[in-house]
Amino acid sequence: MFVQINDLHFSYKGAHEETIKGFSISITKGEIVSLLGDSGSGKSTILRLIAGLEMPNQGVVVVNDCVCCDDCQFMPPEDRGVGMVFQDYALFPHMTVEKNIRFGLHKLNRKERNARVEEMLALVNLTEFRHRYPYELSGGQQQRVALARALAPKPALLILDEPFSNLDTSLQHRIRDDLRRLLKQTGTTTIFVTHDEEDAEALADRIVYLGEGKIKKQIMTENNKTFNPQIPCFV
Amino acid sequence: MNWHAVKRQLNGWAILSFLAILLIVLPGIVVLVELFAPVNDNWQHIQEYLLPRYVRNTLFIMVATGVLTTVIGTSLAWFVTVYDFPFRRFFKWALILPLAIPPYIGAYTYHGILNYTGVIQTTLRNQFGITVDQSYFNIMSIQGTVFIFTLFLYPYIYTITRAFLHNQSSSMIENARILGRGSWDIFFTVVIPISRVAIIGGVSLVLMEVLNDYGVVKYFGIQTFSTAIFSTWFGMKDTSSALKLAGTLMILVIAILTMERLVRGRKQFSYASTKVKPLKPRPLQGWHRYAVFAYVSLVFAIAFVIPFTQLTAWTFLTFDTVFTEEFWQLVWNTVRVAFTATVIILLFALIIANYTRLFPSNMTRVISKVTTLGYSIPGAAIAIAVITLFLWLDDKVLDLARALDLSQTFVFRTTLIMLIFAYVIRFLAIGYNSIESGFEKVGKSFTEASRMLGWNTVQTFFRVDIPMIKGAIMSAFILVFIDIMKELPLTLFLQPFNFSTLATQAFKYVSDEKIHEAALASIVIVLMSGLLIFVSHKVLDKEAD
Repeated sequence: MFVQINDLHFSYKGAHEETIKGFSISITKGEIVSLLGDSGSGKSTILRLIAGLEMPNQGVVVVNDCVCCDDCQFMPPEDRGVGMVFQDYALFPHMTVEKNIRFGLHKLNRKERNARVEEMLALVNLTEFRHRYPYELSGGQQQRVALARALAPKPALLILDEPFSNLDTSLQHRIRDDLRRLLKQTGTTTIFVTHDEEDAEALADRIVYLGEGKIKKQIMTENNKTFNPQIPCFV
Repeated sequence: MNWHAVKRQLNGWAILSFLAILLIVLPGIVVLVELFAPVNDNWQHIQEYLLPRYVRNTLFIMVATGVLTTVIGTSLAWFVTVYDFPFRRFFKWALILPLAIPPYIGAYTYHGILNYTGVIQTTLRNQFGITVDQSYFNIMSIQGTVFIFTLFLYPYIYTITRAFLHNQSSSMIENARILGRGSWDIFFTVVIPISRVAIIGGVSLVLMEVLNDYGVVKYFGIQTFSTAIFSTWFGMKDTSSALKLAGTLMILVIAILTMERLVRGRKQFSYASTKVKPLKPRPLQGWHRYAVFAYVSLVFAIAFVIPFTQLTAWTFLTFDTVFTEEFWQLVWNTVRVAFTATVIILLFALIIANYTRLFPSNMTRVISKVTTLGYSIPGAAIAIAVITLFLWLDDKVLDLARALDLSQTFVFRTTLIMLIFAYVIRFLAIGYNSIESGFEKVGKSFTEASRMLGWNTVQTFFRVDIPMIKGAIMSAFILVFIDIMKELPLTLFLQPFNFSTLATQAFKYVSDEKIHEAALASIVIVLMSGLLIFVSHKVLDKEAD
């Protein structure tokens, strides 16, 4: 499996009860998985654990044959090859759109870097906004910058935390279709978190229902049948 | 905690922070250890005959200054925030200006104005033929000390309370008005209770400054802890007793801080609503308008205009004799030493603040508390602790040099290292607080975003964290720089031979009864501080937007 997570446990400092109680999942390459749950179900925490922003009490995270964390090692977030789109986007306010996208490309040489920036700007349709600062953009544009920035280094896995929570409803519908097309176009393996069932159905191949730190059930969406029929169903 | 959690905690940030903290607490440990050392005869004498007077004087000055600064600071903050009167916008920031005049400069200026040869008595004698009873004009008393401290320290309470009232209280005050309460009523039943935390915070800053002061009480000949520590140390050559006095003083400080915590208790309410809307000042009618204007102008005149004018006059009087090559040297010394210490403080503050932010735990909470402790230790206590420490260090270096048969050794005591070290201990809190609040405002998600894009904590620190808190770093720099430039007791006792700053040179002139000659150095300090205070308030205002 491309992404393999086994028996993840986590509790916040000072908390008596574990927030995550034995979470496991396997994801194939190119699949889009949605974690769906109410607030407090631990869905964002799982993303932060995969990203390496929190350290689990126990459990294994493997992404693309690379052991990110198990009982004896912990790989810092910068070495994991995981891209993340934050709920509030966290675009660097002191950098232009172009510089934000360029930020994660330091491992490429100058020529590759320029080419990649152009490619990403074109992909999210923001080429003419390249010299703007984040505060000069609309909410939807900011989200596209955040997405381009996260995708630019070609992460093995992309994670999105509540990608639609800062957008108004009409925008939300258009963007989630665009987003799905874009993710499939780039073949990006994706995990995203939402509390909105409709979002999950529109964007994901598979929906994972979370409750009290565990998986309640999983279903394949309609999308899956058209895009990725070979994935077995876990219902 | 499993072992890779331990490993994650023990990184470069942690190690650097621990080292910084170790340096900060070292002198405190020296003082506290000495507190439990066996006593000598001298200490018994001090304890029996002198200590009660030191305690009495110090407490009297603290209580009286505390009460008066609270009354003046709070009332000014209230008037400026709630009422509209002539020149309100000017006074809003002008009332902070007395902070640019260090109390010791204010003390000798007022003595110069009021004494027999001063401008008031000379005018009375020459123009009106009146010779006054000297006892009415003697400022060099314990009441005079309180007067000076009140004038030049009230801005601490004024600024904190004003900011609080401005941001936090509008809906409560408006509600109280709608409910039909009058102004006085609102002031005592709403404003005072809700701004209690802000006022207490301001008062504790004032009290720390009072305890730290050496210049005023030394010049006025009042025996307090500060003067006692230095006279025991230099006069009686009794370092052990001086350290014990310093320890007793530190316990007094810890008692005040604990009391602050207790009084504040659970009442640390910040406002529940995030929609903070500033209060719209209400125009005053009739004589009230002029009464408020007169009161505010009077405070501003006494605390700034009069001493500043007098200093300017003296500066012109003595300019030709004082303004020499050496004066430039003084300015250069002041700027150089303040700049170096400020940069070191900011480096420490950035490292520690970033560590406590990235790896929150009980350990980092303690570190954060300890970092701010130095500001509450009075200069006299830090000075003697630091000297004791460096004497010991120099001894060790000498031993080592002998053992290795080296002809030349390095002596810390005669360098600026000792002075800068003391500055770092005392003023780290100032830099740390504003950098910490800068980090708090920005939050952690930008740092996390940068790490998700493949940069480690150090690279992120330079590429994201520092650019994002530029404003906070800048205002931290200004605040620390002003404080070091004005600082007297540490500089006076720890400066190397043949090295003076503007502050110590001014104090030296004053000690030699050359008050007029001290004016130029003083006015340069006042102008530089005033300018920087103005700039920092501009920066802070911009940050707030």
